[in-house]
Amino acid sequence: MSKVNTVLGPVAPEELGVVAVHEHIGYGMPGSELDTRWWKTPEQRYEETVPKLRRFREYGGGTFVDATGICNGRDVDYYKSLSEKTGVHIVACTGFVGGDTALPYFARQSVDQLTRLFVHEITVGIGDTGSLAGVIKVGVSRGGRMTELDKRIYRAAARAAAATGVPVLTHLAIDPEPAVAVFREEGLPLDRVLFGHADDGLNAPKTPHRWIFEQGGRIGFDTFGYETELEDPPFWARPRQERLDHFLGLLNAGYLDQLLVSADANCSPLGWPGVKGHTVNYIFEDLVPDLRGAGVDDATITALLEDNPADFLTIRA
Amino acid sequence: MTDTATAGGPTVNTVLGPVPARELGVTAVHEALLSVVPGAEYAPEVSMDRAEIFDALARKLKDFRDHGGKTVVDSTGMFHGRDVRLYEALSRSTGVHIVASTGMGPEEMLGGYFLTPQTNPPTPWPAEKFADLFTKEVTEGMVVPRVERRGPAGLVATAAARDGMTATEESLFRGAARTALATGVPVSIRYGRDALHDLDVVLDERLPADRVVVGGLDRRDAVDTGAPLEVARRGAFVALDHVGLDDGGTHVTDRERASLVLDLVEAGFGHRILLSGNAIGVAKGHPAYDLPFSHVLTAFVPLLASMGLGDEEARRVLADNPQELLALR
Repeated sequence: MSKVNTVLGPVAPEELGVVAVHEHIGYGMPGSELDTRWWKTPEQRYEETVPKLRRFREYGGGTFVDATGICNGRDVDYYKSLSEKTGVHIVACTGFVGGDTALPYFARQSVDQLTRLFVHEITVGIGDTGSLAGVIKVGVSRGGRMTELDKRIYRAAARAAAATGVPVLTHLAIDPEPAVAVFREEGLPLDRVLFGHADDGLNAPKTPHRWIFEQGGRIGFDTFGYETELEDPPFWARPRQERLDHFLGLLNAGYLDQLLVSADANCSPLGWPGVKGHTVNYIFEDLVPDLRGAGVDDATITALLEDNPADFLTIRA
Repeated sequence: MTDTATAGGPTVNTVLGPVPARELGVTAVHEALLSVVPGAEYAPEVSMDRAEIFDALARKLKDFRDHGGKTVVDSTGMFHGRDVRLYEALSRSTGVHIVASTGMGPEEMLGGYFLTPQTNPPTPWPAEKFADLFTKEVTEGMVVPRVERRGPAGLVATAAARDGMTATEESLFRGAARTALATGVPVSIRYGRDALHDLDVVLDERLPADRVVVGGLDRRDAVDTGAPLEVARRGAFVALDHVGLDDGGTHVTDRERASLVLDLVEAGFGHRILLSGNAIGVAKGHPAYDLPFSHVLTAFVPLLASMGLGDEEARRVLADNPQELLALR
């Protein structure tokens, strides 16, 4: 039986609908919870989040994949209440955004221990929520090169993915050679890996897109909307047209099956100001019109927003 | 502020608010109540049963009280399991004063928010930002993360890596010193490789030496180089705070600790000595260390007495010195 783990239980892939494959309900670096400048009341968090998810639903959005790692404010009980009340399927992840977001208890763990952690969250549950993780998050620490800890986490993720059939989603697609080597050594097919953030202004120039495609990996243009045209763009912003052209170039070169898109927005950021004016709904409000405007047909758009993510997220027996 | 606190005289910040320093009594200056390796709270194999944790800590605090202890200082800082509301309930129910700390360290124990912030480049936090974070924990109250602030921190605790202070640890030490200067709470440091070097970092911020306690001075490498005496000469408090630990090398034995106490008293530094056990009430994510908080009182003080320390000197070390250290300036 084909299924995808959501926070409210497994669902058939056919139920996913339009998927935002790399998003955040709320993200904060570990330790940011100590700094009151970022604190929000529960009322404020729901107020900032619910209308965005409702709008997402109204636009035809079906599934929201939360890529917030274990120590970054991941809050599965909260996601469950949001999902139940808005009707948006929410997929939670196990894993870490990068070695530099794994707190000391996990940073000290061996590949075996980390593997057990990920498998536990995928097959038994996250904490006492009863919810199963639907993807495994890994990533490259700040600095541009995979650290020893990053590699340990990637290897554990590869083993957990191979054992459970859940896919791997990465934060950053830079320095992918060691990652690909780890996945190969662990016998994880590379179509189970989404190399994310391949499109942002800082990292796109350093990401070997075609090489990743040639290895069989999937690539995420999943920071759509972080644009230099914004009022207060973040340091990873990129000119809108430049990103779109880059994306269309890869699409037209025949890589549709390996491409996924998302906005990487925070509904209600936890440990940073967030980026004003940027939400998950960029997908419907800007990206889809831009793609149509560039002559991309509906079948292609459906593949990007529905078929590809469903294929990626479906637990592979 | 309580009525007694307004009656005049210096006060100490406890989790239930300021109390007159003279009420502290026998004080364990460097202990851990709930000690959680950051991240362990998210691990499936770690249980965080609050009732069970409360029960274990309450038993240990009552044992301490039953042996004459009045105040326990939790020196774990703000990011190693500190649970202010739990400590408030424990203090109310056991009658033991609990002084909780702000601060963080060593660098290895910090979250990415401080080390690789979302800026380009990801420059680690400087001293000033740590000072601001720690100061607010004294002036506005200690945080229950993302929920509320509670009572004021009673001290700032920080630590450096054993193989030498890192750049971020220097920022932590300087930030801690600035908080002490701004608020009047003391600084408790766990030195890394070199006690005197690390002490000098906080003194370089113009913090008076008698506002600093240097912990871990019963480490053998420190004792061998005469660091305890030298720290006392600079005017800082000398904490022999692994009383009861006989780890076969890293730290000296209780008998050697006792000799060191007598040497320091002999050298005229009886007013600078502090004793504690560095016990862990409840450990999560790391090995338990079930030494009773009362060990200093039940085993070590009798040993000191047998080696010739007078009652008055003992009282000074156990009660007067902690009171002087912890009283807000």
